[in-house]
Amino acid sequence: MGVISAIGNTVAQNHAALIQGSCGIKKPNNFPSKYADILPFGLVQLSSDELKAKLHVTARGVTRTTLLAMHAANEAIADAGITVQQLTSPQTALIGATTVGGMCLMDELYRDANRTSGGSEFISSYDCASVFMFLQAHYHITGLVNTINTACSSSANAIMYGARLIKNGLAKRVIAGGADSLSKFTINGFNALHILSREICIPFDENRQGLNLGEGAAFLILEGEESVGNKKVYAELTGYCNCNDAFHPSSLSDDGDGPCLAMEGALASAKINANMIDFINAHGTATQNNDEVESKALKKVFGDNVPAFASVKANIGHTLGAASAIEAVYSILNLVQQELYAGLNFTQPISSTGLVPITAYTKTGVRNVMSNSFGFGGNCSSLIFSKS
Amino acid sequence: MFYIHQTTCISPQQTFNEINLDVLHEAVDNKLCVIEPLYQGIPPGLLRRMGKAVKIGVGAALPLLKQPNVIAGIIIGTANGGMEESVKFLKQIIEYDEDALTPGNFVQSTSNAVASQVSLLTHNKGYNVTHVHRGLAFENAVIDAAMMVRENEETTYLLGGVDEISSYNYNLDNLEGWNKREHISNTNLYLSETCGSIVGEGAAMFIVNGEKANAVARLKAIAILNTGDEVDVKNALQNFLAAHLQPDEKIDLLLSGENGDSRLLHFYTCCESILGDNTSVARFKHLCAEYPTASAFALWLACNIIQAQHLPPHTVKMQASTRGGYKNVLVYNNHKGVQHSFMLVCK
Repeated sequence: MGVISAIGNTVAQNHAALIQGSCGIKKPNNFPSKYADILPFGLVQLSSDELKAKLHVTARGVTRTTLLAMHAANEAIADAGITVQQLTSPQTALIGATTVGGMCLMDELYRDANRTSGGSEFISSYDCASVFMFLQAHYHITGLVNTINTACSSSANAIMYGARLIKNGLAKRVIAGGADSLSKFTINGFNALHILSREICIPFDENRQGLNLGEGAAFLILEGEESVGNKKVYAELTGYCNCNDAFHPSSLSDDGDGPCLAMEGALASAKINANMIDFINAHGTATQNNDEVESKALKKVFGDNVPAFASVKANIGHTLGAASAIEAVYSILNLVQQELYAGLNFTQPISSTGLVPITAYTKTGVRNVMSNSFGFGGNCSSLIFSKS
Repeated sequence: MFYIHQTTCISPQQTFNEINLDVLHEAVDNKLCVIEPLYQGIPPGLLRRMGKAVKIGVGAALPLLKQPNVIAGIIIGTANGGMEESVKFLKQIIEYDEDALTPGNFVQSTSNAVASQVSLLTHNKGYNVTHVHRGLAFENAVIDAAMMVRENEETTYLLGGVDEISSYNYNLDNLEGWNKREHISNTNLYLSETCGSIVGEGAAMFIVNGEKANAVARLKAIAILNTGDEVDVKNALQNFLAAHLQPDEKIDLLLSGENGDSRLLHFYTCCESILGDNTSVARFKHLCAEYPTASAFALWLACNIIQAQHLPPHTVKMQASTRGGYKNVLVYNNHKGVQHSFMLVCK
C-alpha cells in the first residue's frame, strides 16, 4: 500500500495521524484562488517542487496530480517488494482513477488553449489519462493500463476493475488506485453548488455545513489468491459493487437507492450477511444531502444494527478521485491493526436518523470493513475488505 | 468475448436512422462535425443544458434502450467527456475572477456525464462506468464489457464510445502538431504527405451480450499496447493473429485507422504487409476524422460491413478477392503514434 494525504506522506504517517485524530484541513498559504483566504482545504504538505525533488522528476510537463500519484505508487511498489522484472511483466496492470487529472493547472490550460503558437510544457498533460500514461512510461509497464473517471467513486471502481482483471486472467497483479490534486476547477464547481463548508467539516452531524476539498493519492497492489504464495498479505478484497442512483446529476435520491444497491451488492458479492460487517468507512462528505441519504441507506441495509461507522473527510477533506483509494488503505489499516479511528468534530446526530458515528479511537476485533463511495452522476460503489 | 446485437452511430456521415455511406459529407475547415439528429426521448429543458458530447452520446444510446430493463449496465469510453462544458466553466472562472458562477457547466463537464445521463433517462441502476484512457478509452470499455459478459451470464450491456471536438482540445492539438496546417479535404486525406490529420467527433453505441442467436457480429478478441516502436506493433499483431485465428482462417478485411499523418503511416503499412495480399484494406478516418474514440466508429463500421457484406467504394485502399465474403474483420487503430489497438470482429 502507498498513500499521501493532508495528514501524512506515507502509510506510517497517515496511520499515526489517524490514531491521534489529526486534522490536515486548513486555509492554504499560497494556493492561487481567491477562496484560499476564505475556505479550508486538505492539502498535501509537500509543494510540487518538493515532490519533484523527492521523486527525482526532471521531465517537463508533469502535473501535481501525477506527482502525488507517483509518490503513493512508489511507496506501494516498494512495500509489496515488486521486482523490476515483475513490474515490467505483461502480467502487471496499472489501473488509475482521477477526476481532475491535469486540470489542476487551470491558468496554464486557459493560457495554452487560447494561444496560437508556442505552448507551455503542459500541453499534453491536461487530461486524466496523462497521469497514468506518465506512470506507465516511468515504470516501463507493459501490461494493461487504464484510467477511470466516475467522479467521487473513481478509485473504488479502479480497485474493482483491477480485481476483475485478475479474476478474468487478464493480469496477475494490479497497481490500482487514484490521485487528485486541488484545482480551482473543482473549488469553483463545488462552491457554485453551495456545498463547500467555511469551517472544518462535521460528517454526520445535524449542523454540518458542507464539505472541504482535499487532495492526495493512494495505491494498492492487488494479486490473485492463486499466485500470491507466501508474500505478505494485508487483507482480502472480498466484495464489491458498482451501481447507479439514476436520480440526479449532483445529488443522491431521498431513498438512497444507489447507496443501498451498492452496499447490498457488495455484501452479496462477498457472500456475507450484513451482521458480519464490523465497521463502515462511510462516504460521509458532510454535505446535507450525502450524510442524510447515506444514513437512511445504512438503516435500510443494516436495520436496527448499523455497525460502527465514521468518515475520514474531517481528517483529510474530500479527495475526489483519490478518496476511495485512500480510504481503502485506511480500511485495510482497520483490519491489520484491529482498531477503529475516531470520526472528528461530531456532536449532534442528524435528527431524522439519529445515527452516531464512532468518535473515539477504539481497539476492537475487525473482520470485515465496508467502504462507501458515492459520486456525481449517481455513481455509487461499495467495497468490502476482509481480514486475510 | 461478446456478441453485438444492435448498433447506433451519430457521426459526421449519414449513419443515424437512415444509413447512407454512398454520399460522403465533406470536412469544413479541416473539421468533420457530427450531423446532429432530432433528439427523441430527451426532455427539451434537459437537452438545452446538455453539451454536445452528452447530447450525441445520449442521443445514440436511447434508441437502443426503448425496451425497459434489457441492459444490466452502461459502459462508456470517452477521452474528454464534456470537455466543451469544462471550457465554458473554466472561462467563467477566469473571466469572472471566480465569482458568481453557475454550476450547470461544471456538472455537465464531468467525464461520466454521458453514462450518468443515460442511466438517469432510462432509470438504469446497474453497473455504470466511464473509461477515460485517452486514445484507448473505448478499447478499455470493450475489455470491461467483455469481462462483464463473462462474469455475469445472460446479461446485456450498453457499450459506447463518445468524443466531441472542443475548442480547447482543438487548440492544444494544434500546438502539439496533431492537426494539419494546410487546408485539406477529407476526400484527399490519404494523399497528404504532411504531418497531422483532420479533426472529428462522434458517438457509437452497441448492445452486447454472450448470446449468439440473431447477433450482428461477434467481437472475438482485442489487444491494446502503448509503444512508439513499429517492431512492437508488428510483434503484437503477429501474436494476436496466432492466438485468435485458426490455421485455415484469414483476415478478410483490415479496417485501418490511417489518418493522413505522414508520421504514422508506417504503422498502418506495417500491419498491411503482415496481413498480405489476401486481405482487403479499407480506411475510415475520411468518414469520422481523428479523435480519441474513433475506434468506436470503426467497430460500428465493421459491424455494418459484416452485415451488408459490402465495402463503400471510397473506403477501399486495396481490394483482395472477396470469395468467402467478409467474415473476419480486423480493426487496427493508433492514437498519436503511441496508443495502439487491434479488434477482431467476426461474422
